[in-house]
Amino acid sequence: MAAVTAVKSPDTGPAVKEKRFYLDIKWVVILAIVAFLLIFEVLPMLYLVVRAFTADGGVSIHAFQRVYTYPMNWTALRNTVVTATCSMFLGVLIAFPLAWLVGRTNLYGKKFFRTLFVTTYMVPPYVGAMAWLRLLNPSVGTLNVFLKDLLHLAENPFNIYSVGGLVWVLTSFYYPYAFITISRAMEKMDPSLEEASKISGASPLKTLWTITLPMMAPSIVAAALLVFVSAGSCYGIPSIIGAPGQVHTVTTRIIDFVSIGNQEGLTDATTLAVFLMVIANVVLYVSNFVVGKKQYITVSGKSTRPNIVDLGRWRIAVTLLVVIFALIVVIIPFFSVAATSFTKNLGKPLLSFADGKLVTDNFVLRFWERVVTRESILNSALHSLVYAALSATIGIIISCVMAYLLQRTRVKFKSVPDFLITLGSGTPSVVIALGLIMTMSGRFGINIYNTMWIMIVAYLIKYLLMGMRTVVSAMSQIHPSLEEASLISGASWLRSFKDVTIPLIAPSVVAGWFLIFMPCFYELTMSTLLYSTYTKTLGIELFTYQTFHSQQTAAALATAILLLVIAANWLLNKLTKGEFSI
Amino acid sequence: MSSKRFFAVVMALAMALTMLAGCGGGNEPAPAPAPAPAPAPSGDGGSAPADPTPADVSGNVLIYTSMYEDIIEAIKPELKKAFPNLNVEFFYGGTGTLQTKVAAEIETGKLSCDMLMVAEPAYSLELKEGGWLEPYVTSAADGLAFDYDKEGYWYPVRICNMVLAYNPELKSKEEVPNSFYDFAYNEAVKGKISMSNPLTSGTAMAAVTALKDKYGYEYFEALGKQNVMVESGGVACTKLETGECDVIMILEESILKKREEDDSALEVIYPTDGTIVIPSTIMTIADGKNANNNIAACQAITDWFLSNEGQKNIVAGWMHSVVSGYPEPPYDAIPTSEILKNTMPVNWENCFRQRDEIRTKFQESVTIPESK
Repeated sequence: MAAVTAVKSPDTGPAVKEKRFYLDIKWVVILAIVAFLLIFEVLPMLYLVVRAFTADGGVSIHAFQRVYTYPMNWTALRNTVVTATCSMFLGVLIAFPLAWLVGRTNLYGKKFFRTLFVTTYMVPPYVGAMAWLRLLNPSVGTLNVFLKDLLHLAENPFNIYSVGGLVWVLTSFYYPYAFITISRAMEKMDPSLEEASKISGASPLKTLWTITLPMMAPSIVAAALLVFVSAGSCYGIPSIIGAPGQVHTVTTRIIDFVSIGNQEGLTDATTLAVFLMVIANVVLYVSNFVVGKKQYITVSGKSTRPNIVDLGRWRIAVTLLVVIFALIVVIIPFFSVAATSFTKNLGKPLLSFADGKLVTDNFVLRFWERVVTRESILNSALHSLVYAALSATIGIIISCVMAYLLQRTRVKFKSVPDFLITLGSGTPSVVIALGLIMTMSGRFGINIYNTMWIMIVAYLIKYLLMGMRTVVSAMSQIHPSLEEASLISGASWLRSFKDVTIPLIAPSVVAGWFLIFMPCFYELTMSTLLYSTYTKTLGIELFTYQTFHSQQTAAALATAILLLVIAANWLLNKLTKGEFSI
Repeated sequence: MSSKRFFAVVMALAMALTMLAGCGGGNEPAPAPAPAPAPAPSGDGGSAPADPTPADVSGNVLIYTSMYEDIIEAIKPELKKAFPNLNVEFFYGGTGTLQTKVAAEIETGKLSCDMLMVAEPAYSLELKEGGWLEPYVTSAADGLAFDYDKEGYWYPVRICNMVLAYNPELKSKEEVPNSFYDFAYNEAVKGKISMSNPLTSGTAMAAVTALKDKYGYEYFEALGKQNVMVESGGVACTKLETGECDVIMILEESILKKREEDDSALEVIYPTDGTIVIPSTIMTIADGKNANNNIAACQAITDWFLSNEGQKNIVAGWMHSVVSGYPEPPYDAIPTSEILKNTMPVNWENCFRQRDEIRTKFQESVTIPESK
């Protein structure tokens, strides 16, 4: 770019300069993104794959034979595919109607429900899994016992330690990904087609089926992909819910292999991880095939206020259904986590009545005190805040550029970074972390091991997709005519991007920022391997307390995070007069 | 105007990326200054005892350890008192986590720590064989009640005991298995028992090695038929509290800690077929392969941990002392000598050499039985 500017003769008009300028900046940005992904994602992964084939010195498929001829590993592969697929379908089946009800109907308390459903995303899955475990374990699960007594059953109705249990918990933690993606797109949809359908005499349900649903297809596929990939590469939930019931997934196997702590363990982990990479790729191609064939431009410069479907006499009934769903999936587990944080002995009720008096022996504030006074927790919280904010900010900038690139340009290899970002998300966290340790500690001239950058890089590779998909799907529904109008009126590419595109996709950008920020904020699996004495994060504190020291402290910490997020959301909502919220 | 600002943001990003790519170690914390006294020479048969006075050692030492953070917090000021010029940092992690970290660092040819206080002798044997440890023969080892490496590559520094535990508020001691054998064979507790994962926990690995040596691989199959839940100790304790589990196989220290800190009623059962006594070791990383090149300080720290002063902190952390005749056991525990009267021995050579076989069998029988 510098060279072009230098050789430019002084008599070149400003118009030409402008034109050259924007072409160049596009390439610089694209190249920077591709270079980043090549160095920090492709190189480590290639290194791991090469290592899997050459572990014994020469080139061999010995490791592959050992890993893939083992029936245990096939069981784990099957479980992963089954649970991720089921969670994907169930997640979208839950998310689509909810998104429609919240976004396009006159459901009571829409705004409240919207925030509530997104809130699940803000809770670390392994803490939530603990809540479900306490509610639905087969012997003394609170909800189980309650249902048994209520329905006079012979035994407890649910066993959380099963494939079904795993699917349920995975779904309840990953459907918000789909909910967020779909409801964003739904808010941006041009209502005129729906109006046309209505005017032509179609019922609201028929309109939903023949107009809304097909128009939403790209977002739904994107949402499904997100849920599938997240559920398939999740470690916390299967380790807590699956493992005790002997239901193992590829991720728990990989962590087991990794935890063996020797070279062969690492090789086996890498080899098994190749499976998850392949699955992610297949899903990616399928979704590209489906989405790529159809282009829906549904936001034009005219009206963007979606029309509201009147639920009529169903309004109360439907609201009631949503309330029940919210109670089961969000409120009860969260309440259970919050109650845990005050409970001294988890075997006894938090508060009880004896002789007509309230017994508060079991109620302690000690765990909260520990959370706000212990230096290591506060330091870790600060670290997490900084790393997650940096990751989210860098990530959302890349997302915006990628969205423009994918939706507005015909650059030849524009799908390369898109593919790499998706591949990164589909790769199990532990593989990303291992690859980074092995390649980024000086072997190839880059040494960021033991610094915060290795964590930020890992977070970006893993969670960039969340932000990117949100922004891309918002962008895919904005008609280019608006930008063209801006360009014709003489604005530069950057100017029209900033003044036209960004404002239109702003709510999605904010949502995307949070979608990257939150999982980074309490990220566990990668941080476990990448942190050093000076870069400890909140996720590590949470998991350590959860599994080794004190679950009550972990619960207090998780509740504190949740409260902070709700407060931040409320503030954001207030400050922007309702325009922005998570 | 603002388009320029946007451009600046994009450029800043591009620059940040380039910087990231080219930082080549520039972001690393500056290496610690070399300690004032020259590091003790490291011979093959163990270096001469450095015998430094506390004020002599200075610089930095980083220790990877699996001891509870509460214990680390308590030990730090004590170490500061003993070595005022030395800056000791601890890096806490579970055994599996730390071993993974070390394995990944071994790939790079250098460890990012100076000492390890993690896992059991089998791991020390492995690291010694790989040439990662620095030998140090010290007179402080004379009083040790447990085996140590005679060449000075590793010393036991704390004792963890694998025991059973139950919840007297929900079950009587007579109702639950009192031996490791019954733990696996008493069908009354089927599906209501829990233990740690030998793939990720060093102490669990030692325990299943001892159990396999005593009862054969049939023991693993019995555990599998019992539907034992394989999970971390913290989770198991909670399940014992809520009554989801009747009896769990767990480290004594986890229960003692709960009793002292949370007034928990959970109680230890010292199994009738023998407590599995697991020493955890202290090791110094070999010269040239460690983080701070501060062997003299590592040796001083080793001596301190093996002294009565160091052992006091171990015992306060609910673990037993390694020094023979150390006066008191941890809070609410029976005396160490009582435990040693009835133990189930661990063959550390087996634990190391047969590790893969034992782990594979355990996984096939317990973790993911064929039928599932």
